[in-house]
Amino acid sequence: MPMVEKTKLSKLASKFIGWRMWVQSAFLLVWLDPLGLRMHTVCSPVFHCYACPLSTFACPIGIIAQFGALHIFPFIAVGLLIAVGVLFGTLICGWVCPFGFLQDLVAKVPTPRFDLPKWTGNLRYVVLIVTVLAVPYFFGEGHWLFVCRVCPAGALEAAVPNMVGQAIGGKEIIWPSALKLTILGLFLIAIFFIKRPWCRILCPLGAIFSLFNRVSALFLRFNPYQCTECKQCHKMCEYGIEPEKSPNDSRCVRCLECVGCGPGALTLGSIFENSKTNTPLDIEKLE
Amino acid sequence: MLTKNTKIIVFFLFILLGAVLITYGAVFHSTNVLPQNQDGSPAVAKSEPALIKEASVGGVRRDESGKIKQTYTGQSPEACAT
Ligand code: SF4
Ligand code: SF4
Ligand code: SF4
Repeated sequence: MPMVEKTKLSKLASKFIGWRMWVQSAFLLVWLDPLGLRMHTVCSPVFHCYACPLSTFACPIGIIAQFGALHIFPFIAVGLLIAVGVLFGTLICGWVCPFGFLQDLVAKVPTPRFDLPKWTGNLRYVVLIVTVLAVPYFFGEGHWLFVCRVCPAGALEAAVPNMVGQAIGGKEIIWPSALKLTILGLFLIAIFFIKRPWCRILCPLGAIFSLFNRVSALFLRFNPYQCTECKQCHKMCEYGIEPEKSPNDSRCVRCLECVGCGPGALTLGSIFENSKTNTPLDIEKLE
Repeated sequence: MLTKNTKIIVFFLFILLGAVLITYGAVFHSTNVLPQNQDGSPAVAKSEPALIKEASVGGVRRDESGKIKQTYTGQSPEACAT
């Protein structure tokens, strides 16, 4: 029986797992523009609204939708998402994205949490195809289903601060549409009762990254010989995934919580490491 | 199911594709944009990074004839879609 292979990468990952929130906080210094650089000629690989007063970069989803409305191919945004996706997959969601972090913070509040049926994860692809690609291209940015018009990140990070600014400045307050306010209200309620509802059900950027989970350079490696079928990882995963069955599930946000399972059957792997359990095919061979 | 070597090849192909798209967009891609003041001035070519900046404040629109027009510059308007 092969022994646990603790590679440098998996050792490093195990050290950082307890520090995930701090890593997410540190990335806020990149996204929240503390130096006032406002580099909006560049897209970021995370979900952070470019209309937020504190945003260093442009939102890639907003740019893809806006370019779609202009009938121009967004080479930079698409190239960036392909490159980042194939390097990290949804590791971006678990460790880097500020909107995921916000939902993680609220998840610390001890309210009852409800699980979601597996199929709800597919709604993200519907959101991507309808609100980011089809509606912008065929109906333009004025359509009510244009992604930025229904996006809770835009409402929370841009509309709310703008309204507060208008109120403080004694100006007339410009309210977002009723639809957007409803979505924001539902989002603010949902984050208290469902772990990362936006990421799991609706996020078009998470949908794109999840498509790369099976081929990304960094991935969740499962060693079947190390697994004692204790099902500890099922309890550790707050997203309803059974990591030993589908370690690179499209619903996984790669928070790496399950890597802490006692027998150590799950580790962070890289396609460049020499490992007996490097790819799903290699695992089959071992079996 | 993919073998390790296939995975590495797929990875490099995607990285290459991403790099080519980013380079093309950043260096070569531009779009003609009609100026904000519709006084008959000709369209100016805007690079993709410049267009990303304009799009991020909703400052460009496509009219019925398919032409891209600058609608305003600077900060996003208070009634912005976001
Ligand atoms: S409203 Fe949402 S999709 Fe649009 S730019 Fe802002 S964060 Fe991105
Ligand atoms: S699913 Fe979307 S919002 Fe959630 S962490 Fe990933 S990119 Fe960010
Ligand atoms: S399978 Fe593991 S890494 Fe993925 S979401 Fe669940 S706990 Fe996090």
